[in-house]
Amino acid sequence: MAAVSARGLVRTFGEGRAARRVLDGTDLDVAAGEIVAVLGRSGSGKSTLLHVLGGLDRPEAGTVEVAGERVTGVGERRLSSLRRRHIGFVFQFFHLLPELTGEGNVQLAGRVRGAHAEAEERGHALVDRLGLRHVAGSLPHQLSGGEQQRFAIARALVNDPGLLLADEPTGNLDVQAGAEVLELLGELATEGRAIVLVTHEASAAAIAHRVLRLEAGRLVAA
Amino acid sequence: MIRALLAPPRRARTLLAALGIVAASLVVGTAATVGYGLATGFDRAARQADLPHVIARFDREDRETVDARVRALPNLAARSYRHEEKNVDLRANGRRTRKGTLHIVTGGRRGYAVTEGRDLQGPDEVVVERGLAREWELAPGDRLTLYRGWETRIVGVAVEPDNVAFPLTVTPRVYTSEASWPHPVSVNLAQLWLADPERADITLAQARATSFGIGGLSFVTRAGIEVLLGQAAGIVLSLLVAFSLVALVAAGTMLAASDQAEVQRRLPAFGVQRALGFTPARLTAAQAAEAALLAAPAAALGLAGGALAVAGPSAALLAQLNEQPPGAALLPVLGACLLAITAIVTAAATWPAWRAARRPPAEILRGGDLARSPRRRWAADGLLATGARFALAARGRFAASVATIAVCAGVVTLMLALAALLVRLRDDPGTVGKRYQLSVRLSPFDVAAVDDIPGVAAASERYQVDVADSFRLGEPLRMIAYPGDHTRFEAPPLAEGRRLGGEGEVEVGVGLADALGLRPGATLAVQTESGSEVRYRVSGVVRALEHDGRIAYVRPDRLLDAQPDAAPTVSIRLDPDADRAEVERRLAALGAQPVSVGGATTRNAAFLGVLATVLRGVGLAVGLVCLYALIQAVAMTARERRGAVALLRACGGDRRTVAAVFAGAALVVAVPAALAGVLLEWLVLGPLVARLAAGFAALPLAPSPGQVALVVGGLVLLAAGATALVARRTMREPPIAGLREE
Repeated sequence: MAAVSARGLVRTFGEGRAARRVLDGTDLDVAAGEIVAVLGRSGSGKSTLLHVLGGLDRPEAGTVEVAGERVTGVGERRLSSLRRRHIGFVFQFFHLLPELTGEGNVQLAGRVRGAHAEAEERGHALVDRLGLRHVAGSLPHQLSGGEQQRFAIARALVNDPGLLLADEPTGNLDVQAGAEVLELLGELATEGRAIVLVTHEASAAAIAHRVLRLEAGRLVAA
Repeated sequence: MIRALLAPPRRARTLLAALGIVAASLVVGTAATVGYGLATGFDRAARQADLPHVIARFDREDRETVDARVRALPNLAARSYRHEEKNVDLRANGRRTRKGTLHIVTGGRRGYAVTEGRDLQGPDEVVVERGLAREWELAPGDRLTLYRGWETRIVGVAVEPDNVAFPLTVTPRVYTSEASWPHPVSVNLAQLWLADPERADITLAQARATSFGIGGLSFVTRAGIEVLLGQAAGIVLSLLVAFSLVALVAAGTMLAASDQAEVQRRLPAFGVQRALGFTPARLTAAQAAEAALLAAPAAALGLAGGALAVAGPSAALLAQLNEQPPGAALLPVLGACLLAITAIVTAAATWPAWRAARRPPAEILRGGDLARSPRRRWAADGLLATGARFALAARGRFAASVATIAVCAGVVTLMLALAALLVRLRDDPGTVGKRYQLSVRLSPFDVAAVDDIPGVAAASERYQVDVADSFRLGEPLRMIAYPGDHTRFEAPPLAEGRRLGGEGEVEVGVGLADALGLRPGATLAVQTESGSEVRYRVSGVVRALEHDGRIAYVRPDRLLDAQPDAAPTVSIRLDPDADRAEVERRLAALGAQPVSVGGATTRNAAFLGVLATVLRGVGLAVGLVCLYALIQAVAMTARERRGAVALLRACGGDRRTVAAVFAGAALVVAVPAALAGVLLEWLVLGPLVARLAAGFAALPLAPSPGQVALVVGGLVLLAAGATALVARRTMREPPIAGLREE
């Protein structure tokens, strides 16, 4: 069973003449432990594909399944549950809450209703594992970009998801910090997690088992 | 500019701001309608009815005899006479009373206003007072039977504001002309209109001097009538007027606070505009124009809504007092309120905008309301705490929200305290310093027998005589006399001086002291109905609520010398564990009918019902403002932290998770606001209203623990409601919308 499977996804932005179909019958299957890199021009729909796969956005047509459960066509309550149990997100701009410490941001994901009982312990362990203990009590504005992204990855892993969706995870980092993050993603894949990585950087694509390109709303091999 | 305000990015905020102005204006509208109506109702009614400046009552006399004395009085502009018959049997529409008052008018100026139908013209015609017409559902053309057989036709309905209306008074009034009366009409009531009402004292002094041969003479002036009407409604009217003033101030604070918060929120936009080359003056002017454009229609809507909401109950209240609702006279007042609200909103928006726009653009851009780089870490990390942090991050708006809701909570607490006070004033004589529970009509010789009844702690004869100040006959006051220490039975707190120590001394109420300029050591000279004068030295000033504080406590000897026919009652103070029923039975065996002693306000249930409706109307408006302010606080937090909320949802947070965050944001505003509101009422509003309403008395307006719990609990419930609304709205949009905005 694929960790994530998408069929015939359609997503359009704008209306009338300004309408632009960024996904036009997109299909994708990613197996557990596999890293798939999605490349494409700016505005080609890479991030939109990621959002639709993770249930953050709804397509006009097509289906998505994560761990065998339908993502499309279900209600918000079920979607929340699905995201909590199976999906982790990593964003280009980290999205750390400025009022919380680095570790506080990690633990926040474990405090949502229905989170794993051992989420707090896992969060603590992730901070240690990612080498962030010495800055765990720092606020986001006191952290480097690499540290912020590693906290964001730790947050995405608190509920032990099988699928990690990473949107330009190195786009805001210097070369060294970016390399560290990519190495970390590689490790996570070896643990059996499926990773869909949206990027426009060749170095990022280099860690992927498969590299696809989004063109005219469809995924093709790069 | 209107298009910009209503364009999709700003539409929601514009509507939210407009809603705030509508809610605050609603409070102003209700307060202005009730306050203005009550404050000016008597003057308006007196003007409309052409109420005489002085009304003299005396024993029945031939009209020519009386007129010979009256027409010689100085400062007299006009006069007319009536014959007043009391305890007249009235029947109509299946209703009956034996306590009707029939006024036979004998020409000249009437002193009442016909509000329906016409005035008297021929025989067997009557005009009935409005209270009677309303209560018995009478109209011109209906029949009214007087004296069990005199069939009359109602031709008009009238208002004469020298007394409250039926059924607040138990003596409904009916007017007929002397053409209806089969006998030559003697008169016992004279109405005097003065050329210079300010010089009524001269006319009254002369009237006293020339009244030889006319028995039972008493005068009441317009000022005296106003006092008497005030007594009929008890302390309630003064409280309402004072409350309205406080509500106006509160609404102003709310408007200013919410508008300042709106400008704080727009600081980044100002920064961008300044960077693009806009001058501070232009930005400020645009902000002022926008604020005025938004405020004027919203305020008009709120004022109209508030005025309409309480117009009915307020008019009913005034009608019970025989006073006139303001009608179109309210429009200029509401117009002034509209201007004031628009000015407050505009100023509140313009001033911070001017201050902000003058700063360097880079500083403005850095200094948005949201604290992007918090200065300290928090101990708690739960969802509630996270929501609280979100709300606290916007420090300016947080302070404005807390201030707004605190003022509202203070006003609501005040209303609860007022309502409780009204009940206590009605039911508990101790509230007004009375320490006796029963009163009976018995001879002073029976006091010893009453004292011997088991359960009676003390009994004493009590004399109560209404008199006038000798120097200013238009100032009525009430003398209360006990043979011994009156504080065993009535102990209003001392405001100044000491308790009376002997026959020649008097304790005066603050209301009387203020009216006559009395202080300890001054002389109080009073004239009784018999025309005798008695003088006392003021020993102390007391905060008495009864009779609007126009009261004087003395020993009885001098008073009885001046008015020997003053009939005593016996005041009875019960033991705390007394069997009241047994005491009343023993008193009945002595031939007395015991009367329970109440407080200072009216016992009329309908009247209290109307008052409760008015209070509820104002309370509802204030409650709506509270709810609005909470929704605004939570909605603004939700909008500002849209990305953070979307992130929580991306992590699997469902509606309850989001609601928990918003609940934290709501509670961190609501709980301190509720506590601040209670403190505000306790330390500021309560004492202020008590002082405004009855500076002559000590009104207990501090909130009880139950009221505090009600206000805090109510605000927490409102916070829960606001949270649920905003959470529901937030969950309608896909999480990615918030993440994209970040």
